[in-house]
Amino acid sequence: MMKLYDYILSPSCYKVRLMAALTGVKLDLRAVDFHPGLEHRGPELLALNPAGSIPILEDGDLLLTESSAMLVYLAAKAAPDWLAGSDAQEAARVQQWLSFSGRLTASLGGARLHEMLLRPGDIDALRASGIAALRELELGLVEQAERGQNFLAANRPTVADIACFPYVALAPDGGVPLDPYPAIRLWSRRLRSLPGFIEMPGIHRLHELKPEPQLETGEA
Amino acid sequence: MSLSHGFVRGETLSCIYHGWSYGQAGNCLRIPAHPGLTPPDAIRTVTHPVTEADGVVWVAVDEPTAAPPGLAGLVPLRSLTAFADIAAIEAAAGVKATADGLVNAGDIRLLLSSTRDGETLIHVLVSADAGPAARIAAARIAEGLRRKAEDIYKKGAAR
Amino acid sequence: MIVGPMLDEWYPVGIFGQLDEAGRKTMLMGEPIVVARNGNGDARVTDSTGRSLPVRVRYGHVWTSLGDPQKELFAIPEADQPGRRFVDVGVVRVRCSPLRAVENFLDIAHFPFVHTDILGAEPHTEVQAYKVEIREDVDEVWATQVQFYQPQAAKSASGGITTQYMYRVAGPTSTVLYKTCPPKPSEWDVITLFVQPLTEDLCDVWPWMALFDDDTPMTDLIHFQQTIFLQDRSILENQVPRLLPLDPGMEMPTRADLTSVAYRRWLKRHNFTYGAQLVAQ
Repeated sequence: MMKLYDYILSPSCYKVRLMAALTGVKLDLRAVDFHPGLEHRGPELLALNPAGSIPILEDGDLLLTESSAMLVYLAAKAAPDWLAGSDAQEAARVQQWLSFSGRLTASLGGARLHEMLLRPGDIDALRASGIAALRELELGLVEQAERGQNFLAANRPTVADIACFPYVALAPDGGVPLDPYPAIRLWSRRLRSLPGFIEMPGIHRLHELKPEPQLETGEA
Repeated sequence: MSLSHGFVRGETLSCIYHGWSYGQAGNCLRIPAHPGLTPPDAIRTVTHPVTEADGVVWVAVDEPTAAPPGLAGLVPLRSLTAFADIAAIEAAAGVKATADGLVNAGDIRLLLSSTRDGETLIHVLVSADAGPAARIAAARIAEGLRRKAEDIYKKGAAR
Repeated sequence: MIVGPMLDEWYPVGIFGQLDEAGRKTMLMGEPIVVARNGNGDARVTDSTGRSLPVRVRYGHVWTSLGDPQKELFAIPEADQPGRRFVDVGVVRVRCSPLRAVENFLDIAHFPFVHTDILGAEPHTEVQAYKVEIREDVDEVWATQVQFYQPQAAKSASGGITTQYMYRVAGPTSTVLYKTCPPKPSEWDVITLFVQPLTEDLCDVWPWMALFDDDTPMTDLIHFQQTIFLQDRSILENQVPRLLPLDPGMEMPTRADLTSVAYRRWLKRHNFTYGAQLVAQ
C-alpha cells in the first residue's frame, strides 16, 4: 500500500488524501507531528525529504515530495480520466493550473499558517498575493464556463482542480474571504458534491446533499 | 453567525452552526436540538424583498418604490469586486452612471453597488447577441477596468 | 482599555516543554510579554517594563497574570493521577473574543453540523435536559448529566456511543471537560481549553488533555483534538457580534444553551468583561 506522511491540517497533504478518496485508492497514513512537534524538520523526515516539507509519498522504491506529482501518480495508476486527454489545449491547461497551484500555497497557505499557527511572514503581502491569485482563478473559471466547461481544464474534474482546491477553500483561515468570487464558489460546490469527496478541518460538510432527516425525539 | 455560511434544503435556509432553519418569511421552522419544540414566532431572521429580472437578482433594503430598471438587449456576464469606490470606477470608465445606475463602458455595461467603504460590487453586462469569444473578451476587459479603477482610487486615497 | 477584575486572573501563555532562553514574545490583554526559560530551567514571564510577573507551571503550560491573583491557579486533580497520558495539543490563534472561544467549547448542539460524523450526526440532534449550577464554594460554573450521541467520540472509540459529559468553567478563559472514557468506563477523560486573551477579539488557544489511552500514538491524539478545534475555528471567526453579549435580549437562548447562560451570568457577576459587550450595539 502507498504510504503517505500526512498532517491532518495541511492542505497539501489533504490534496493527496482527497485524490485517493475520489479515485478509490487506499493509503497507509503516517501522522507527522508538524505542529507543535515540528517533526517534519527532524532527522527521520529530513532523510526522506531534505526540503523539510510534507506530504511525502512512498510506493515501493518511488519517493515523491511534490504534491502535484503525487496527484498525477494516483490518477495514472487508478483513474486516468483525471489526467489531461490528448487535446493540446486541455493538456496545457492542466499544466498551467498545476504550476499555478504553487502560488496559492505560497500566498494563501502562508497567510493561513501565519494567522493560525503563528508562523512568521508578512501578512499584508501574503494576503495581497493571495487575492491576486484568486482573481486569476476566478477569471479562468469564468472563461471555462463560456467554453461550456465546468472545471479548470475540461468539462470534468482533473488533477488541476484538486491541486488548486484546498488552499482556495481554506483561504478564509488566513483572513482572505471568498465572498467576492462567485465562479470559485460554484466550482468549489461542484467539487464538494463529487462522489467520494472528503473534507478536512475548515471545510464543512455540504449538509444540503442530505435530505432533511426525520428527527428522533424523546419529547412529548 | 451569518446565514450565508448555511445550507438550503428544499425551501428552507439553515444555519451551519446549530442547524436552525428558516422559511421564506424569515420565521424559524426548526431547532434540531429540540425536535419536539415549535419555535416561537419571535425567533426570526431579517428578510428583504427580492426579484429577478433579465437574469439579474435585485434586492431592496426596504420596500422598493419602483420595479428594477429594464436591461433590454443586455445579459449578465459576471460579477466582480473592486477595492475602489463608485466615483473611481466611473473615472476609469470615463463616464458617469445613468439615472438607471448603468455605466456604459464601451463593450461592457456595469451595474455598480457599493458594499462597504472603498469596496464596490461590479456586475458586468454584455449585449445579448455577443458570442462566446466576445463574452470572454468582455470578461477580460472588466479586469482591466478594475485595475484602472483601483489605481485611481489608491492614488485618490493617498492624497 | 480598562481590563477590570480579569486582570487578576491566571492565563496560559505557552507550553513549558517548548520554552527556550530566547523566549516567546507574545501578548496578554494588550500588554506585550516575554515567556522564557531562565538559566535554572524555570519559566519566567516579564512585561514590557522588564517587571517579572507571577508564574505557575501546571498542566503542561506556563501560567501568568498581569495583576495580583487572589486565588491559586485552579486544581485539576486528574493531572496527578497515575496512568493518564498528557497531551499538549499546541497553540491555535483565533480571531475571536476569548470568551466566545470558551462559550463555543461549552456548547453541544453544534456537534452534528460542525463536527459531522465525529462528535455528532443527524438525525441525533436532540439535546436532552441536563443540570447547570454555579458552585458557590469553588466559584465555578458546572454542567452535569450532559449526554449526546457521538459517532466517533474519541480516537479510542470504535463506532457510535452515547457519551456522558461534565463541563466546568474554572476561570474566565479556562474550561475543563470531563467525558466518557471509552477504554476505562470507571474514569473520565479530561479535555481542556485554556485560552490566552491577546486582545478583546483575538486569542491564542491551548487545548490540553489528560487521557486514559495506552494504544493510540501521541501524534494521533494531538491530531484528533486539532481536527475538532479547527472545525470550530472557522465558526468562531464568523460570529456576530464579535464580543460576547452579556445582557439578555441580543441572542435567543434555548434549553440547550443553559451552560452558556450560566457562564454569561457568572462573567457578569464578577465583572469579567474583557471580550464582552454589555449593552446591545
